[in-house]
Amino acid sequence: MTTSESGSPPGLGFLTVLEHDQLGLVGGYLVLNVHGRPLEFHCTAPVKANRAQQILFGPTLDSYLYGEQIGQTLLGKCSLELLGVCTDVERALSVREYVSLPVSLVLTDSAAVDGHSAIGAPTTNADETAADHPGLTTGAGPVWRVDAAHRAAPHLCEFSIGANRLAVPAHRQDDRETITGRLENLGEFDLAEPFQRIRQAVEEAHRSGRA
Amino acid sequence: MHDALDGSTSGFAWKPHQQVEVSSFATEIPVAGADNAAWSGALSRTGPKVTSDTLQNTVAAAVSLPIVAQSLRVASYRFACAAGWQAERPPTTKGDSRRTANVPAPFGTRTRIRPPGDIVKLEDRLFYVLQPSLESLLREGALSLPAQPFGYQFEGIAFLYPRYCAVLADEMGLGKTMQAITAIRLLLHAGELSNVLLICPKPLVTNWQREFAAWAEELPVMVVEGDRARRRWQWQRNEAPIKIANYELLHRDSDLIAELDLHFDLVLLDEAQRIKNRTSVTSHAVRELPRRRSWALTGTPVENSPQDLVGIFEFLAPGYLNDSMKPRRMGRAASDYVLRRTKDRVLTELPPKMFRDAELELSAAQRHSYQLAEDEGVLRLTEMGDGATIQHVFELVLRLKQICNFDPATGDSSKFERLAADLDEVAASGRKAIIFSQWVSTLETLAERLAPLQPVQYHGKVPQRQRDALLEQFRSDPNHHVMLLSYGAGGVGLNLQFAEYVFLFDRWWNPAVEDQAINRAHRIGAAGPVTVTRFLALDTIEQRIDQVLREKRELFDTIFSDVEPQAKLGLTHQEIFGLFKLRCPNGPIDTAA
Repeated sequence: MTTSESGSPPGLGFLTVLEHDQLGLVGGYLVLNVHGRPLEFHCTAPVKANRAQQILFGPTLDSYLYGEQIGQTLLGKCSLELLGVCTDVERALSVREYVSLPVSLVLTDSAAVDGHSAIGAPTTNADETAADHPGLTTGAGPVWRVDAAHRAAPHLCEFSIGANRLAVPAHRQDDRETITGRLENLGEFDLAEPFQRIRQAVEEAHRSGRA
Repeated sequence: MHDALDGSTSGFAWKPHQQVEVSSFATEIPVAGADNAAWSGALSRTGPKVTSDTLQNTVAAAVSLPIVAQSLRVASYRFACAAGWQAERPPTTKGDSRRTANVPAPFGTRTRIRPPGDIVKLEDRLFYVLQPSLESLLREGALSLPAQPFGYQFEGIAFLYPRYCAVLADEMGLGKTMQAITAIRLLLHAGELSNVLLICPKPLVTNWQREFAAWAEELPVMVVEGDRARRRWQWQRNEAPIKIANYELLHRDSDLIAELDLHFDLVLLDEAQRIKNRTSVTSHAVRELPRRRSWALTGTPVENSPQDLVGIFEFLAPGYLNDSMKPRRMGRAASDYVLRRTKDRVLTELPPKMFRDAELELSAAQRHSYQLAEDEGVLRLTEMGDGATIQHVFELVLRLKQICNFDPATGDSSKFERLAADLDEVAASGRKAIIFSQWVSTLETLAERLAPLQPVQYHGKVPQRQRDALLEQFRSDPNHHVMLLSYGAGGVGLNLQFAEYVFLFDRWWNPAVEDQAINRAHRIGAAGPVTVTRFLALDTIEQRIDQVLREKRELFDTIFSDVEPQAKLGLTHQEIFGLFKLRCPNGPIDTAA
């Protein structure tokens, strides 16, 4: 990674949005330094769209919740200079419309691209699975996909940095160049790993709140 | 009818459909007569009668659904990144294979640090939850390791890393040293530690130096030793982040440490069972050390009784455990502070450890001497009545055990005959064996009789400065097949995994000490199965003691498992006297180890 003009190496932001059955959406934003150590962590209170919002925002609701309300709020809390922002939730890419930083989607086998679960990931929605795979019995345990993981949707522009597969919105192709240039010294850093930390931290905060 | 829009500028609020009231206009035209009727009629015409009505233009009722951008609550945490230990190291080039040697690939298995239960503040807990995996920390810090650690070792490091009070109580041979060193190394590089004091038994100081050189080559280590003036100077030096001192020296330097107002980020005790006795000067000395973190390493947190663990916790968290706690409750209370793994559970790939109990009849001469000594001894103890002390009983026990080894009159030994036969086989196959006894005299006798096998001796009579060379000689010289060790000098800290045979020529009072001895050979790096031969003279004091040892093992299992105690455990006065069917005059003893 590069060094900023102020002398301290800039960090990299990791944004994710977690879905909770009862509570709604919880945003988590982790800023790491060049060694992968945490510098800042921000998480939102649960957000749940009401019925009126669901009707009135229609198909733009996700973009509003993930990008404007959660993403923009969280990115606004960061006090550090950043190289860019990574997310593992495609819907959160819409935050790019509200910030000047390049935002990229980290593609993994379990990345939430268009809501599809990937190979090897247990499918929790039994009804959906039964409909998609009539030959499978839902039973009590998880059902596993046997087909290949979905790749980036056509509206995304996919590229690689090291062993990491990334994507940016097709209309933001210039971000691809920016991100590639800024993260060229990333080495073997696994860009998908920090999202696990965010999930554990959100769980920890949730547990702490209940205690 | 039509939809109505509110003309206000407040927005495009929709209003429900409203029926507009419209009045009807009635136009009446009278009918005219004939002839002039049309003209006159035209003049007289007053015009159509118009009836007017007011339009009731009521305001439509509207329901507004304001869309307000809610202010989202955000919890924010910021973490300071302290400057860690900066070692001088040769510059690395891109693609330097050494940089990542023996550290798992970043996309592979990851070991995460979990905050311990006694960290309450959410921000502090998140600090640990959000740390990268240990494997990542090692890679990003360019910290190479001489060997790929096992998964359970990473877990052990992750256990130590966030803890301010911890006991790593892995079974001997699982690599407690490496786990502690790596945890210290990571904390030093993260800037969470800057000065560490390691306290160990004196014979293990060089072993720790070697291990630090192997597992953390960039970390300077200072051994505190020499005369008082030199030690004073050493205590004050800050160049090396790690100081090593032995227990005896620490006791002598307690006043010096207080006078110099020293403070340590971490005090690590090796072989922490040394402080199990809370009233000992050693225990007092370590408890007085000013420190932030307290870690203890021991393969035997409970040697004789649960009070041993209470003694160790007096160093970690005074008062947290107490003597009145039942073993099971104590085990639960200690669970978040103690990590205990056994080879059976974590090292499924370690070669097996096979036990052979060599139960032997004494030779005729030995039996004669034994019987004579026991009869005389018991008679004497009986005559002493209530004046008999535990020391008197111990003296008799030791005498009888020595006869079980060698007959003092003739030198006969059924144990030696069996041992010699076994060792011939060991030597013939080009393998190595280690033999333990509690007496130096027994080891010296064995050395004389086993001279053709060129045995190497390692016990209290061997000067400290010669010991490393002797170990290396036994390790590397194929002509040396046998090493003779005392439980005291050779039972801890030595890596003899190249030996495939272990002989316990006589038995120690404590099964934990025997385990330590056996695990000199049965440890990580062992190339093949380790065969342990435990000699036992039938119908002697050895057999009676063996029964007590079995009960002690059950005690250990009670504290470190959920098994309820099956019997009254521990070595009491009654049991010691009971070895000779004598009546005990007093209560329980503190220790028999």
